[in-house]
Amino acid sequence: MLDTPVTGKRQVARGMFVIGMHAPEIASAVRAGQFVNLGWSGGPILRRPFSVYRAEGEHIEVVLKAVGSGTGQMLAMEVGDRLSCLGPLGRGFEFGGGAREAVLVSGGLGVAPMLLAARDARAAGMKVTWVHGARTAAELCSEMDGDTVIWATDDGSQGMAGSAVAAAPDADVVIACGPNRMLAAAAERWPEAQVAVETYMGCGTGVCLGCAVPLKRGGYDRACKEGPVYRAADIDWDALPSHLPYAVVA
Amino acid sequence: MSTDMSVAVGGMNLRSPVLAASGTFGYGTEVPLLERRALGAMVSKGIFLRPREGTAPPRIAETPSGMLNAIGLQGPGADALVRDYAPQWAEWDFPVLVNINGESVSEYAELTSRLDGVPGVAGFEINISCPNVEQGGMFFGNDPRAAATVTEAVRKRTKLPVWVKLTPMVSDIGVIARAVESAGADALCAINTFVGMSIDLNAYRPRLSFRTGGLSGPAIRPLAVHLAHQAARAVRIPVIGIGGIARAEDALEFLVAGCTAVQVGTATFVNPKAIAEVHDGIASFLEARAFRSLADLPRYLPRD
Repeated sequence: MLDTPVTGKRQVARGMFVIGMHAPEIASAVRAGQFVNLGWSGGPILRRPFSVYRAEGEHIEVVLKAVGSGTGQMLAMEVGDRLSCLGPLGRGFEFGGGAREAVLVSGGLGVAPMLLAARDARAAGMKVTWVHGARTAAELCSEMDGDTVIWATDDGSQGMAGSAVAAAPDADVVIACGPNRMLAAAAERWPEAQVAVETYMGCGTGVCLGCAVPLKRGGYDRACKEGPVYRAADIDWDALPSHLPYAVVA
Repeated sequence: MSTDMSVAVGGMNLRSPVLAASGTFGYGTEVPLLERRALGAMVSKGIFLRPREGTAPPRIAETPSGMLNAIGLQGPGADALVRDYAPQWAEWDFPVLVNINGESVSEYAELTSRLDGVPGVAGFEINISCPNVEQGGMFFGNDPRAAATVTEAVRKRTKLPVWVKLTPMVSDIGVIARAVESAGADALCAINTFVGMSIDLNAYRPRLSFRTGGLSGPAIRPLAVHLAHQAARAVRIPVIGIGGIARAEDALEFLVAGCTAVQVGTATFVNPKAIAEVHDGIASFLEARAFRSLADLPRYLPRD
């Protein structure tokens, strides 16, 4: 648990912001797909989980939209304000296996783990194709890092008209993050894809069992501990709540 | 001067009056145990004889100064507990009580027999107050005769300390408290969560898939202090206070109101060091007022 000062804030899409903080222990250890659980004085009771968006030197960044009062309070913070930061938590993406190309598929706030995913995929010797979708051009994240970048918008205002899943090419390694409905579509097309799911979360450390993810084989496990990254085919998508006001990627 | 924080409670001598509440500390193995010096005892996640899947998500919802949960006592069952967790507990320097559950009196009894004598299991906390299971749970805690029957059944099958965790969802907690005291309980834990509901205005339905959940957190603290106090007035056995404790001052309210020890729950989700901070804050409070030990703390406990 670190007491971390906010070091910066910038806008990356309509309503979407990046907040940076000084967290050396987390910056050096975090892997793509892992998250931090953030709390602050005067904030809500429960911490809020965020995928780590970027990690450089002694700093980490998270990306968020104001979806409720908690994220609203975070966006009102200024440089020097303090966040209590727990992490890195959860199990991230795997890039072993010697594949030559990775396709990253992100919808909306699903960009959250993808900058690190691109970094880790390149470190494993892969070329990176990043397919990013949003409702409109204004909502597309402006910070993309792929050897090939493909855009998709629901209204066709930029890139291909339609979903990021439909716009993506096939590859041996597929990484996806976005609304659970999008991930369910990704699971149909790529059962072996690695997907980072969104759930409500309580503690983030494996004790409260609040972040239950329904499994195809029956039963539940914990997004915060066994996840948030899963093999797409392992999740019972019909039983996973599809729309959440806040989540791992929010 | 170092303040004596030890307490004797419900058949146990504990080094600290601050305990980890069931369901908020897992099996104690999930998170590295920092600052265990502050921990008097741990109550494990509630267990049934057989494995249970738990309820469908969403399982938790944040509410003003609190949270609703409906986990449904997901757990691996008694055999896995004995195999995977108890051997670790046996090595620790604080006792672990198992929070036991059943859908029938005979299931509570069988579970007790299965766990009694297992190294690492130091005692039992009978859960007759879980609001999130269809069978058993709170049903036993609502009725003094049913509560006493379960307590007696467990009592007969073990010589280890038997604590009973009470539900606040009763018209007179003193009646239930006396019933389980007569049935042989060594201590009472007051209280479990309140039943609550919160509505998702986008979906026009409850935010939890189970419809209702147990409300915990600072929102319930004054209610909990009152109920723990009422229970303490009604019985001679010790009462362990639970409900929204996040800071030392919160714990001290329960202690002054007649509790012998306290359990910290939801606060641990937010602050992994909550138990240590509560413990150290109580010690500072006592020291600042020149009390040599926790036993010297004045209590407000007129007897019924």
